[in-house]
Amino acid sequence: MIVAAIRAGDEQGMAQLYERYSGVVYSVALRVLGDTGAAEDVLQDVFMQIWRSPAAFDANRGTLAGWLAVIARHRAIDALRKRRPEVDIADVVVSCEPDLVRGAEWSRALGKIRGALASMPALQRSALDMAFFEGLTHSEISEKTGEPLGTIKTRIRAGLLALRKALKA
Amino acid sequence: MSVHEQFAEDLSLYALEALGSEERRVLEEHLQGCAECRDELELMRGDLGLLGLSASGAEPPARSRQRLLDAVAQEPRGARLVRSGRKSGWWQVLEWAAGAAAVVVMLLLVRENTSLQRRIAGLEADSEAQQAQLAQAKELMASLTSADAEHFILVAGKTPPQPQGKALYVRGSGMLVFLAGNMPPLPPERIYELWLIPSTGAPIPAGLFKPGPGGDATVVKPALPAGVEAKAFAITVEPEGGSAAPTSAPIMAGARS
Repeated sequence: MIVAAIRAGDEQGMAQLYERYSGVVYSVALRVLGDTGAAEDVLQDVFMQIWRSPAAFDANRGTLAGWLAVIARHRAIDALRKRRPEVDIADVVVSCEPDLVRGAEWSRALGKIRGALASMPALQRSALDMAFFEGLTHSEISEKTGEPLGTIKTRIRAGLLALRKALKA
Repeated sequence: MSVHEQFAEDLSLYALEALGSEERRVLEEHLQGCAECRDELELMRGDLGLLGLSASGAEPPARSRQRLLDAVAQEPRGARLVRSGRKSGWWQVLEWAAGAAAVVVMLLLVRENTSLQRRIAGLEADSEAQQAQLAQAKELMASLTSADAEHFILVAGKTPPQPQGKALYVRGSGMLVFLAGNMPPLPPERIYELWLIPSTGAPIPAGLFKPGPGGDATVVKPALPAGVEAKAFAITVEPEGGSAAPTSAPIMAGARS
């Protein structure tokens, strides 16, 4: 397993990690930052953190793909706001199945997720985008859209549950 | 999944790191004791992971791979162990210097400590000697001035007892002890006054006294200026309270013997 190799100090493990997951991390960072150079920096930063603290990822609690997507988002938002990292990656436990990144299964799963997003009401999808990719708080989204705070909260949660449901379908 | 409904929406905001500090504090407190909500939080993060994965498709530039592997090679695992086990020359020099400085400081402290102990021992010895001298002086003084002290005046045979006084005077310190015997009783509201008669100048008051029933009296360490050369001592009878200068002729006087 890749993480086991990294924990053992095997530099080839990092090469494998890169082959498999660099696209995920880079894509999320690029979507958040809209800048290829900045996205590359986040990619380097996230992977080096794994090299330095491979124990931060707990394979028993979820998949590397989902975890990396969330960590990449947090680091990209930190970079966007030019602030020091606010979240310790070891504190982020992500329960996400299966370990999607390549192949036919991945394509099917990605189709389901994107399908669920496409079928969402525009306001709900927009709320998820603003919260996840733009790093806005629900208060900021409420101010931006003029909608009540409670409505924004409900939309975000409902949108996330819809993604979960779509993947299981 | 049984999630506490009041926290359900906050869990998704928490997963997004979008919760305000107070709400975050309340939720974290709840999460500590609620396994269901912790599980739901992990699932929510999983949902966020799915949302992130939906952005997939971009690939980093080719150079990025080598950049990462170069960075990894420069930071081999266990680098921190290597650094702490085999330090650079400068660190070793600093460590040696710090160790040597510590030894020097320790030796200086030991030396200082020894010196201080010697000084303390010397002071203790001085103090003991002074205490002994003081005790001796106190004993002597108590004996001289005690009401129980018996006075014996030796005179030639068949000579009736005469008033007499003996002054012991140390000029350098101005210290005076005066002993008198056979002093005649005083008239009412009168007192004997002792005078130091200097080599030059007016008599200096050297204490007041009234004799006891047997005519004995002492004056111990009256206030006198130091260094005055005494030509003689004299006694006058003065009004109660004493005088600054003799108001009557001396009834007794004596030069240095």
